[in-house]
Amino acid sequence: SVSLCNTSQGCSAGFVSKVWKRDAHGYQQPLQCCDCFKDLRACFVLQAEVFPYPEIGNDELEEIKQLVAPVEKFFSDDVDSAKIDREATIPPETLQGLKDLGLFGIMIPEEYGGLGLSNTIYARLNEIIALDGSIAVTLAAHQAIGLKGILIAGNEAQKQKYLPKLASGEHIAAFCLTEPGSGSDAASIQTRATLSEDGKHYLINGSKIWISNGGMADIMTVFARTEVEVDGVKKDKISAFIVERAFGGITSGKPEDKLGIRGSNTCELSFDNVPVPVENVIGEIGGGFKIAMNILNSGRFSMGSSCAGMIKKLIELTSEYATTRKQFNKSLSEFGMIQEKFAMMALNAFVMESMAYLTSGMMDRPGIPDCSLEAAMVKVFSSEGGWICVSEALQVLGGLGYTKNYPFERFVRDCRILPIFEGTNEILRMYIALTGMQYAGKILTGKIKEMKKGNIGLAIGMVSKKLRASLGASVDLGLTGKDGVVHPSLEDSAKKLEQNVSLFGSTVESLLYRYGKTIVDEQLVLKRVADVLIHIYAMTAVLSRASRSISIGLRNHDHEVLLANTFCNDAFFKNNYWMVQLQKHSPENNDANIKKIAKQVLENRAYICSHPLERTY
Amino acid sequence: MKGSRCLHQLKSLRLLSHAGRLLPPAAGDNGALFRPRSSSQLGGLQCAQREVLRHFHSSPACTKGQPARFVQEEDKTRDKSLVTHDDLFEQVAKEAKTKATFNKVIDVYTKGDIRRRGHVEFIYAALKKMPEFGVEKDLTVYNKLLDVFPKEVFVPRNFIQRMFNHYPRQQECGVQVLEQMENYGIMPNIETKVLLVQIFGEKTHPMRKYQRIMYWFPKFKHVNPFPIPEQLPEDPVDLARFSLTRMANDWDAKVTVYQLPCTDVTESGAEVTLPHIVGIQSPGQMEALAKHNPDRPVFVEGPFPLWMRKTCVYYYVLRADPTPPEEKIEEPYDPERCLSYPLQLDLDLDRDLGDDESFDVEDLDEGPVFAMCMTSQGDQATLNQWISGLQESNPILGQIPTLFRLGAGPRELQGVGDADSASRSWFPSHVQREEAHPGEEAEAVVEEAEAVVEEAEAVVEEEPRRSQVVMTLGLRSDCGGNFVDSSHRLWSFSSGVSVKKAPDEVHHHALHPCIALMQCIGKFALLTQRSPTAAIAGPGCSHTGASSRLHQMQLQWIQ
Repeated sequence: SVSLCNTSQGCSAGFVSKVWKRDAHGYQQPLQCCDCFKDLRACFVLQAEVFPYPEIGNDELEEIKQLVAPVEKFFSDDVDSAKIDREATIPPETLQGLKDLGLFGIMIPEEYGGLGLSNTIYARLNEIIALDGSIAVTLAAHQAIGLKGILIAGNEAQKQKYLPKLASGEHIAAFCLTEPGSGSDAASIQTRATLSEDGKHYLINGSKIWISNGGMADIMTVFARTEVEVDGVKKDKISAFIVERAFGGITSGKPEDKLGIRGSNTCELSFDNVPVPVENVIGEIGGGFKIAMNILNSGRFSMGSSCAGMIKKLIELTSEYATTRKQFNKSLSEFGMIQEKFAMMALNAFVMESMAYLTSGMMDRPGIPDCSLEAAMVKVFSSEGGWICVSEALQVLGGLGYTKNYPFERFVRDCRILPIFEGTNEILRMYIALTGMQYAGKILTGKIKEMKKGNIGLAIGMVSKKLRASLGASVDLGLTGKDGVVHPSLEDSAKKLEQNVSLFGSTVESLLYRYGKTIVDEQLVLKRVADVLIHIYAMTAVLSRASRSISIGLRNHDHEVLLANTFCNDAFFKNNYWMVQLQKHSPENNDANIKKIAKQVLENRAYICSHPLERTY
Repeated sequence: MKGSRCLHQLKSLRLLSHAGRLLPPAAGDNGALFRPRSSSQLGGLQCAQREVLRHFHSSPACTKGQPARFVQEEDKTRDKSLVTHDDLFEQVAKEAKTKATFNKVIDVYTKGDIRRRGHVEFIYAALKKMPEFGVEKDLTVYNKLLDVFPKEVFVPRNFIQRMFNHYPRQQECGVQVLEQMENYGIMPNIETKVLLVQIFGEKTHPMRKYQRIMYWFPKFKHVNPFPIPEQLPEDPVDLARFSLTRMANDWDAKVTVYQLPCTDVTESGAEVTLPHIVGIQSPGQMEALAKHNPDRPVFVEGPFPLWMRKTCVYYYVLRADPTPPEEKIEEPYDPERCLSYPLQLDLDLDRDLGDDESFDVEDLDEGPVFAMCMTSQGDQATLNQWISGLQESNPILGQIPTLFRLGAGPRELQGVGDADSASRSWFPSHVQREEAHPGEEAEAVVEEAEAVVEEAEAVVEEEPRRSQVVMTLGLRSDCGGNFVDSSHRLWSFSSGVSVKKAPDEVHHHALHPCIALMQCIGKFALLTQRSPTAAIAGPGCSHTGASSRLHQMQLQWIQ
C-alpha cells in the first residue's frame, strides 16, 4: 500500500499542476485549450483541486481531537434536547456551557478572542453541534451569518469593537435580511436607512421577519436600502449596518412557533428610527448586496458535516434496535429491507462527509477561493439526503419511532428546515445550474455560433464525436491509468465518472445550442443540470476520499471502497437517466405535460378532476 | 347487471300499470304475463298477453269499467269541436297553461280513445304546444307523451318487418319526440328506454336515436368550460356580481358594490331611484392603473351587452388607449436584484429556432382595461360615482383625466332583425330578448353565417365612434361571456362568435376567420345533432393574425 500511496499522491499533484493554474483574480483557468469539450469537462469536475483529497496537518488534527472530546461530552451529558424541544428555549446554563467551550467564536481569529479555527475544524465541530438542531441553528445564526459580515467585510475598528464580545458569547449576533415582501429579491427590500441631517447617523426604519436569534441578539447585521449617487444619478442600493440593540428603537415580536428547531429563537424585528452611527456601515455604503451574497454563500458548506454527524448518530441509535428486536425468531437486521435502510444511511453519511470536507479543505487553501458553487452543492445534497435518512431511521423503529419516547420524531421535525433555510434547495439548484451554464457558455459561445452559421466542418466533427461516444469509445480524462489519480480498486467508478462528465459536456453544449440565454426560464431543465452536477461532484469527492484512504491505509478503507463504488454506480445511472431526459423530445421527458398539469390546476386553484363516483347520465 | 334488472322491473311495472288502465282489474294482477320481450322464454304467455290486448282493441265496448264512461263523456265534448288535437290543447289553454293542464289533455286523450286513433297527430300537436305550456324541459311529460303510443303493436315480429321500415310514420313520430327532447337538452332516462322498447322494439329508429343521444349527451354535458347556472340570480346586484366575476376571470378580482339600489324621496318630494353600481377590479388591474401615465386620459366606455342565457346585461369599462411604443420602457436588468442566482445569463446566444415554440401572432394592442362595472342607469353622473369610488383604492385616478364615451344606453343593434323569420330565430339580436328557437336545423348556421357576417359588417360601418362593436352570431344564448385576460385585454366571448373591433379597422378579411369558425361550429352542431353549448371569440381580429389566433383557439377548445 505504500507504493500505491506514492503513485496516487505523486501523480495527483502532477495532474493538478499540469492542468490548472490560477489567474490573477484567483479563478482557476484551464491551461489546455486544445478542445472546448475538454475545458468543459474540466471546468465542471476539476474546478478546484480535488485530487488528492485535502489533508490537515498533524498539529491541527491533534487540536481537533482535544477540542472535540469536551464538546462531545458536553452534548451527551449536559444538553437535554428533548427538554429544549419541549420548552422551546435553550436553558441559560446550556448556553453558558456553549460559551465556555468557546463555541460562539469558533472562526473568529484569536486576536479578537475567538478560537481562530479553520473551516475544516468548524465543519468537524458542527458534526457534534448538529445533534441538537436548536443549538446548531442558534450558533449558526450567530457566527455563520450573524457576525460574518463584520468578519469578512468589517474594518479593523469594527472588528476590535465587536468581535471580542461576540466571540465570548457575551453578545449574540443575528442576521437581518428577510422581509415580509422580500426573500431572495433584493429589489423588494423596504427597510430604509436615511442619513440624519448632521450626517453622523443613519436612521433605519422597517421590519424584518424570521430572524434567528432575533429575540436575544445584541448585535445585528441589518440590510437596508440607502440612497446612493451613481454617476450623478440617485439610486437606491442595499447597504449593511452593524446595529446594536442598545441603539434603541428595536422591538422584537413574539417568537415564532415552529415545527422543528423549536429551541432556537425566531422572531420578527421592527426598526423604528434606529440611529446607527455612520462608522457602523459594513464595507462601503451601497455595497450591501455583495456582502449579503458572500455571507450567504459562505455559510452553507457546514451543512454537509452537520447532516453526516446526525446520520452517524442515527445509525448508532437505530442499529441497536434493529439488532435486538426479534420478529419470527429473526432479528430485524436480518431482513433485506431493513438492511437496505442502514446501507443507505451509511452511503449518505459517507458521501456527505466526503463532499463537506473536500469543500472545507478547498476553502482553507490560501487566498480566498470562491467555493460557493461547491458549498451550494453540498447543501442541496446533504439537506435532501438528511431528510430521507432521518425518515428511514424512524421507519426502522416503526410506531415506536413516531412517539415522543424516542428522539426520532424530533430529528424528523428538526431536519425539515434544512431544505428551506440558507437558500431553499430550489433556488440553490438554479444557482448551481446557472453558474455552470454561465461558465460553459463563455467557453462555448464562439463554437455554437459557428455551428449555427452552418460551419460544416464543426458540425461533422460534432456528429462524429457523438457517433464515437455512442459506439462506446472510452473517455479518458486521466483519472485512471498509469498517471491516474484514482486508486485502481476504484477504476470502474472513475471510468463511470469520466463517462458521465463527457456526456454532460455534450449535453450542456446542446442545451446552450438550443436555449441560449433563455435557459434561465427553463427551470425543469436547470433542475436536472443541477442534479447531474451535484452527483458528479459527489462522485468526485468520494473517489478522491476513498483513493486517499486506501493509499494511506486508513482503518476500514475497504468499506470506503465498497461505499464509493456503490455510490458511483448508483449515481452513474441516475446521471445517465437525467441526461437522457435533457435530450430533446426524449420520451422520459415529461416536462410539457408537467407544466400543462400545473397550469390547469393553478388556473382553477384546485384539483379539477371530477370525482370518480360522479356520473353524467 | 343492475341496469338490466332495473329495466326488467320497470318494464313489468309499466306493463302492469298500462294494463291496469286498459284491462279490467281482474286481468291485471298476473305479473308473470309481462316478461320482457327479449327474454328467451317468450312463448305462449307473451302471445296470450298480446291477444288480450288485441281483444280489447277490437271491442272496446266490452269494457264496462270507468275508463269507458270517461271516454263517452269526452266524446261528447269532442263532438262539439273539430277534432284537431291543437284545438284540444287550445281549449284547455283558455284556463291555464300549466303542466297539470297539459297532463290532463294527454290523460283525456289516452283515456278517450282506447284505440288511440290519430295518436301520431296528437303527439305532433302536443310537441308543438309544449313550450307554450312551459313543459318543454320536463322529462316526465316527454315520457308521458311517449306513453301515448300503443305498446307492442309496432314492434317488428319477423326479420322482414325488421328489415323494412316498420310503421314508418310512428317511428318518425317517435324520433321527433326524442329530437325535441334533444333540442331542449333533456336527457332521456331508463323509463324512456323501456317505453321505446315496448313501443318500437330494439334496433328501431327511435331506439337508435335514443342510443345516439345517450352517447353524445354525457360527452357534451360538461364541454363548456364556462358554464352558466340554469337559474341566474334574480337580484340585479347579484346578477351584476356574477356577470362581472365571470368576465373578469380572475380569482383575485374584487367586486365592490358602490351603491345598492334604493328609492329616496328628495326634499321637494320627488321620488328618486338610485341605481345599483357594482364594479370589479383585480390587483393586477390596480397595478396597471397605478403605472398609467397620468398625462394620457382614461375612458369610461359603454354600454356593452353581455348575454347570460336569455338575459342581457350591460357593462361599462374603464380603459385606456394602448401605450405608444415610445412610452414603453422595459425595466433594465439589475444584476443586484437576486441574492441567490443570476436572473440573466451574460451570453450572446439566443434560443434555437427548433425550440422556439411561440406563435407568431400579430398582436393588436387594444389598450388595457382597468376596471369594469355594471349599473342600471348608464348616465355620466352614475358612472362618475363609480369612478370616484374607484379613486379611493386607486388614488392616481385623481390625476388622470377621465373621459366618458358613452353610447345611447341599451339599444337595439339593427341589421339582423329584418331578415326572414328563420334567420331571426337563429340570430337573435341582443335586445330583442327573443329566445332562439331550438327546433331549427343546425345547417342553417353554416349557410347563413356569411350573410349575417355581412349584415353585421354593415352595422359596424354605421357606428361612428371608435368603440367596441359586438356582433353576435348567435346559435344559442346559453353561453355568453366576456372576460379580461392576463394582460388586461377584453375578450368577447359569446354564444356564437363575437368580433370586437374598432369600425375603422374592420374590413371583410378580418371577418373571414369568423366564417371559418362558424362553419366549424356548424359542423360541430351537425355532428352532435344539437347546438354547441360554447363558442369562441378572439379579440382584435386583424387579417391573418386574427385567423391564426382563432384557429389556435379552436384547436385548444376542440382538444
